[in-house]
Amino acid sequence: MSLRATDALQMGGAFAEDAEAQARFEGTQRMLAWRRRLLPIAAVVGLLVVWEIAVVVFDIKPFIAPAPSMVAKVLAAKFGMLMSNLLPTAIEALSGFLLGNAAAIAIATAFVYKRTLEEAFFPVAVMINTIPVVAKAPILVLLLGNGMEPKIAIAALICFFPTLVNMTRGLRDVSPQQLELMRILSASPREVFIKLRLKNALPYLFSALKIAASTAVIGAIVGEWIGATAGIGALIIQATYNFDSPLLYATIVVGSAFSATFFGVISWAERRLLKWNVGHAA
Amino acid sequence: MPALALDRPSDRMAPTAAGDATPAITLDRITVRFTTERGTVTALDGVDLSVQPGGFVTLLGPSGCGKSTLLRVVADLIAPSSGSVRVLGGDASVARERRDIGFVFQDAALLPWRTAQQNVELPLEVGGGRAQPGKRSPRELLELVGLAGWENAYPHELSGGMRQRVSIARALVNDPKLLLMDEPFGALDEITRDRLNEELLRVWEETGTTILFVTHSIYEAAFLGQEVLLLAARPGRVRELVPVDLPAPRQIAMRETRAFVELVAHLRRVLETC
Repeated sequence: MSLRATDALQMGGAFAEDAEAQARFEGTQRMLAWRRRLLPIAAVVGLLVVWEIAVVVFDIKPFIAPAPSMVAKVLAAKFGMLMSNLLPTAIEALSGFLLGNAAAIAIATAFVYKRTLEEAFFPVAVMINTIPVVAKAPILVLLLGNGMEPKIAIAALICFFPTLVNMTRGLRDVSPQQLELMRILSASPREVFIKLRLKNALPYLFSALKIAASTAVIGAIVGEWIGATAGIGALIIQATYNFDSPLLYATIVVGSAFSATFFGVISWAERRLLKWNVGHAA
Repeated sequence: MPALALDRPSDRMAPTAAGDATPAITLDRITVRFTTERGTVTALDGVDLSVQPGGFVTLLGPSGCGKSTLLRVVADLIAPSSGSVRVLGGDASVARERRDIGFVFQDAALLPWRTAQQNVELPLEVGGGRAQPGKRSPRELLELVGLAGWENAYPHELSGGMRQRVSIARALVNDPKLLLMDEPFGALDEITRDRLNEELLRVWEETGTTILFVTHSIYEAAFLGQEVLLLAARPGRVRELVPVDLPAPRQIAMRETRAFVELVAHLRRVLETC
């Protein structure tokens, strides 16, 4: 027997038979892709132009709100200094990200296999999560001293909760029929975990990791507010006290650019690893 | 097990005749009780069944008659509260561990992160040393179920009927002597279902497997089975075992014949009293 035409249509392009129509179809697709990329860029450029004009027209003092051109000049002039301050923040954010998520994945696994553990400790996790970051930070500085450790701890704590919740759900939400299948195949508990539960949890995990990518950087910066001599957070505090608004804005740009890159890397990894999930994600 | 693959289907049309071969399935007074929050439910009450090797028996009954439970008792997924189960002359768990049982689920139960071929290969990867490959490679099995050229497609790229074909190929990868099918075509449209019914009979002839097939469609039960086991609900029990005396090979057009119409009418009359 052979597959019917309707089945074949589902995968290939709609006009596989007609070369000209196919070319037109692809052209439209390309145009839409460029449109998706160019629209947000145009919006950002437009807003910057409005801001620049507003500063000149209303004669706004630089320490209240610097013009984008002035921020750009500071960015260029103090690039080396900004980068040497980004380095500690990046190390803290990345270490916290790895540590927090690794702990969350391990504990989620324990929760899935031992419900009692979840019943006992999930409320504790919720309680810790309700403490605001600005309140957690001084406690951790007192506990861990003035080095990188408290900043890493804050970044880790901030990543921990979304990953714990998502990962627990992902590991648990396998269909009963998939579990029955594994039993018919006499699969060991280890195989059920690796071949079924872990794979099933990946889309849930990546949703959490994308949140964690930006919050880890925020965590590290907030940690640096409490007490640090270097880092994006420390620079923000110094610039604010010195009324050096152009430097403050330039620091924020560097911090945000790092956050966005981090988020982009995770999104890219998600698209690479979860090709099978394209129908559901996006 | 005799090498049934070479037999013509017409030679296998007398499953109830007392043969020397050990039955593929023997159920003796099977009772299954579930304890739920609202009390104890009797899903099956004293069910007897004997299926000959190479036979095709369909289980038909209203919802709640325990069709799926019966299938799961044979597959060693549910332990009966009382009664004895013999599968291929031994314990159901032994047959399961030897990979003599293939199971096809209602929703295909494919792993969405694996391609069609990788899904068919799953039974060869798990279960430790039990995974002896069958006569046909996963690629050949996909060809057998009509999916040549779709090896690298992910389940989300396949239609419901195609996903079910993959799941049938997966169930056949260890050359099971027994194929258990739990309403495999229940969620498909009627045209696809008819086509897959004919193809399933062809696969059955080519592989010589014994098939136990659960359905809630009277037509499907009558068209596929050599015998139809009618079950009554609450508690699930055997109402009647109806032999199907239709010539081979069966084709969908046969549904308009007098013999088929009379058979369906009989099944419907009995079902109304279940």
